[in-house]
Amino acid sequence: MSKTRYILLNCSVIASILILLLQLFRLQVVEQQDHSQIADGNALRNIRVVPARGSIYDRNGTVLVHNVPKYTVTLTPTHFDESNIRHLAQLLEIPDSVVARKLEEASHFNPYKPSPAFSNVSFEQYSRISEDAYLLPGVGTEINHRRHYPTDARSSHALGYTGEISPDELLTIRSESDSLLYRQGDYLGKTGVERSYEPWLRGVPGIARRWVNIYGLEVMTYAQGQADQKPREYYDLHLALDAQVQALAESLFVNKRGAAIALNPNDGSIIALVSKPDYALELFDDGIQNDTWLELINHTDKPLYNRATMNLMPPGSTWKPFMALFALSEGLLGDHGHETTIYCPGYHPAGRGRYFRCTNVHGSVNVVDAIRLSCNTFFFEIARRMNISAFHEYANKFGFGVKSPFDLREQTSGLIPDSAYFSSSPSYVRQSLLMNLGIGQGDMGVTPLQLARYTTVLANGGTLYPPHLVSHFVNRETGESFRPPNLPPPVEVKVDTMYMELVRQGMKLVMESGTGVMSQIPGIPSAGKTGTSQAPGDFTDHSVFIMFAPYDNPQIALAVHCENTGDGSHCAAPIASLLAEQYLKGEIPASWQKNIRMDRAMSAISESLITENDL
Amino acid sequence: MRSWYRNLDLPALCAWIGLCSCGLVAIYSSTHGEAQEFLLNTVQDSFQRQILWLIISSVALAIVLTIPLEWLVRFSPLVYAITIGLLIAALIFGREVSGARSWVYLGPLSIQSSELAKVGAILMASYLFTLRFRNNPVVFGTLIAATLLLPASLIILQNDLGTALVFFGMLPILWLCTGVPLRVVGLVILFPITGYLAVISWQIAVGFTIAVGVIALFGTRSYKWMTAGVMACALTIGTATFALNYVLQPHQVARIVSFSNPEADEFRAGVGFHLVQSKAALGSGGLWGHGFQQGSQTQGRYIPEQSTDFVFSVVGEEWGFVGSVVVLLLFATLMLRLIRLVKFIDHPFGICLIFGAVGIFMIHVCVNLGMVLGLLPVIGIPLPFLSYGGSALLTNTLILGLALSVYMRRAEFSLYV
Repeated sequence: MSKTRYILLNCSVIASILILLLQLFRLQVVEQQDHSQIADGNALRNIRVVPARGSIYDRNGTVLVHNVPKYTVTLTPTHFDESNIRHLAQLLEIPDSVVARKLEEASHFNPYKPSPAFSNVSFEQYSRISEDAYLLPGVGTEINHRRHYPTDARSSHALGYTGEISPDELLTIRSESDSLLYRQGDYLGKTGVERSYEPWLRGVPGIARRWVNIYGLEVMTYAQGQADQKPREYYDLHLALDAQVQALAESLFVNKRGAAIALNPNDGSIIALVSKPDYALELFDDGIQNDTWLELINHTDKPLYNRATMNLMPPGSTWKPFMALFALSEGLLGDHGHETTIYCPGYHPAGRGRYFRCTNVHGSVNVVDAIRLSCNTFFFEIARRMNISAFHEYANKFGFGVKSPFDLREQTSGLIPDSAYFSSSPSYVRQSLLMNLGIGQGDMGVTPLQLARYTTVLANGGTLYPPHLVSHFVNRETGESFRPPNLPPPVEVKVDTMYMELVRQGMKLVMESGTGVMSQIPGIPSAGKTGTSQAPGDFTDHSVFIMFAPYDNPQIALAVHCENTGDGSHCAAPIASLLAEQYLKGEIPASWQKNIRMDRAMSAISESLITENDL
Repeated sequence: MRSWYRNLDLPALCAWIGLCSCGLVAIYSSTHGEAQEFLLNTVQDSFQRQILWLIISSVALAIVLTIPLEWLVRFSPLVYAITIGLLIAALIFGREVSGARSWVYLGPLSIQSSELAKVGAILMASYLFTLRFRNNPVVFGTLIAATLLLPASLIILQNDLGTALVFFGMLPILWLCTGVPLRVVGLVILFPITGYLAVISWQIAVGFTIAVGVIALFGTRSYKWMTAGVMACALTIGTATFALNYVLQPHQVARIVSFSNPEADEFRAGVGFHLVQSKAALGSGGLWGHGFQQGSQTQGRYIPEQSTDFVFSVVGEEWGFVGSVVVLLLFATLMLRLIRLVKFIDHPFGICLIFGAVGIFMIHVCVNLGMVLGLLPVIGIPLPFLSYGGSALLTNTLILGLALSVYMRRAEFSLYV
């Protein structure tokens, strides 16, 4: 054994150990940053913690909307082994081809991240997949929430539905705020308060940093959770809505199209908001089926359309209290307007041989009687005397022709003609158009919401409150309660108290001895006004009614609009009266008045809009 | 009677205990951490099985240390014959594990016959060295080569190329210790080195060839040897280039060349995956490591084969540069200590046996760590004493035991030469 060979072996051992040491030093000390990045990219996930969407309560604390768990299976294409397609398909009880297609979709989205491929699987399927997760790399599970509506009151248009975020919405949101807020597949409010209070209901998602294993399952917390961010700013909504009044209103609208809206005249909060026909919000809680959606948007009766806040119609005779106030305030009836009478021969002679018909021969009527009797002649005459610009301006003061500061976005401003509107018509045509405005017919449009709002002004003597569904919201972390932030202060409508009192008296008499006599609330004095709004075409007229009660200390103001059911006293009035009674008494005690109103309300049916020509 | 274990070499034994402990810690961490619930049942038991195998190996070590030298020398050919028999038996009756048909059942235990063949080959080579014709390098060198090639070819038939490569690697080392001329040994070593360089870049390989020619000319002062060296290099470069471009399938080429650039798109999802993950795990450990059971890659099972061939990446990630250096130093201690023992032995059997032991350890450490550290292509051989695997642990412990035994009993040698 020569010394050389001994040294050679020694040297080769030392040399190889040194080479390995150098490479170790390079990897672990010099290039540590680079390798840490790859390692973290492999295993560190920022998991978004989305707070459960806020619940919605009514004014008595009844739950209108809350969440129930929804189970989702996710796919991470890079880690998914295609030979497992069959296994996964069997667990999910779906064809292989569906799994293959979902895998392809997920690859297009992002092959390195879990994407929600199968949503709303059953709890059993969810459990089976969780058990087999170690055999199925790249397959993950998530528990999300879906909306659930436990009460009888559907409140479809007030609450609104949620739906998956669309690519356009995602782009808009991403450009405005940080990308964590929403991701593809997230749900957000599309209509109603779900939409307008989306930021409060959703909250700001937090981040949980987790080490995940090669199967995408969490194995460790990162830095003991120090780097995690909790979700914050998530709220529950409390509506002013009364679920019982709402449910009653919805049941009274069986076989009808129309809307009812009830406001608290002392703060503008919405007690009930009904638009019929409506739809079950449950249809939307897991992404609506395409055929159902087509059915909804193509239906003749437009169930998705919020009639209470968007439907424009001439107000009919419910317009007359407004005209009376307008005439008195503008001095159209002379200096002592409240005493002025106008003679009604059963028609208004407009000149040039034209006659505008009244419902009856009323003789000499003053302003109170004109409201009680709903004398057209009286208001034709007022309209003949009025200045269209003043009329427009005065209507705006009462909230007509403009959008309300309101917490639903679904709203139309309505149509109140101004001087420009008729300027192209010849003067004699113009006069007859103007005179029609006096009785709330012709070229004008108001929404039920606007009517109800105007009724609150009549009820409270001159304050126009912003209507709102949400009374307050509660921070679920801290329990703190907040008023809606975008609610402007109320506006005073300057009306002489005496004039207001005259109009209110007239409306009270309507209930006591006028067209509303069959719709009185037993034991509670009230004021109201019926209306019959001309429907376009050959269809039956719309039934309209406004009301507030109790007369001396109004707590509720309503506007009810039943499409194509005839005059105001037959359908809209009994409905409004029943709703007011339910709200004021908490129940409707059995009485003969109840039976009459129920009969009248339930027997009215909206005439079908489908004519023989359509069939 | 105290004397027989008095000469037991404690530093080498301590290094062995240290390495086995590091292995156990790494295996425990990768099978009993947060990731445990996601592991297959068979993998979850790894730690307990390794403990069992460590006990078996310790018993075997004790037995080897008690065997008189005379018996060792005399029965070496028999041991070799038995291991060859096991190889053949595995080929015929064996069980196939991850493509290699090399497992045989011995009672309740299943043993990888290709591992035990290493013990047989070293013993046989050492036995040959005691024979008379050891002074004739040509005859002797040929016999050594035959001793190694027989098990190597059987193992290739078993479809376990990695283990077979170990036997080829043993050839220059055994030649080095047994008097084969150095220039021949050098010539043999030229083939793998040039091949490795040719895979990385042909320019470097050509440069290396020129350097070899110059050094050979001045070292040997013989044109004959210079021509031989240059021819060997040129032949290797030619063969490697031809094989990579025309003979091998694309996936085989990828396996060979991917280590030099595992992040490249064409490798990353396939053969490069092992290397990227292994380097990421090691590198992210930094100086001090993430700590026991805190390595995200280990706990997340991102490194394939992390308790067997890639066990060092667990050490590197969780114990950092410091832990890795400790393991490397333990290996260095073990090998350098064994080489030092050679000085005290003047019997050819002992010298050859210790050289063989050092050779086995060195090849395994270099090839395995070379692979884990991204210096070599992925060749599936275990890291001695650390990787999970009973046969390998038993084999390596037996080899160490033999080396310690010949040193301990060196006084007995003079009687039998």
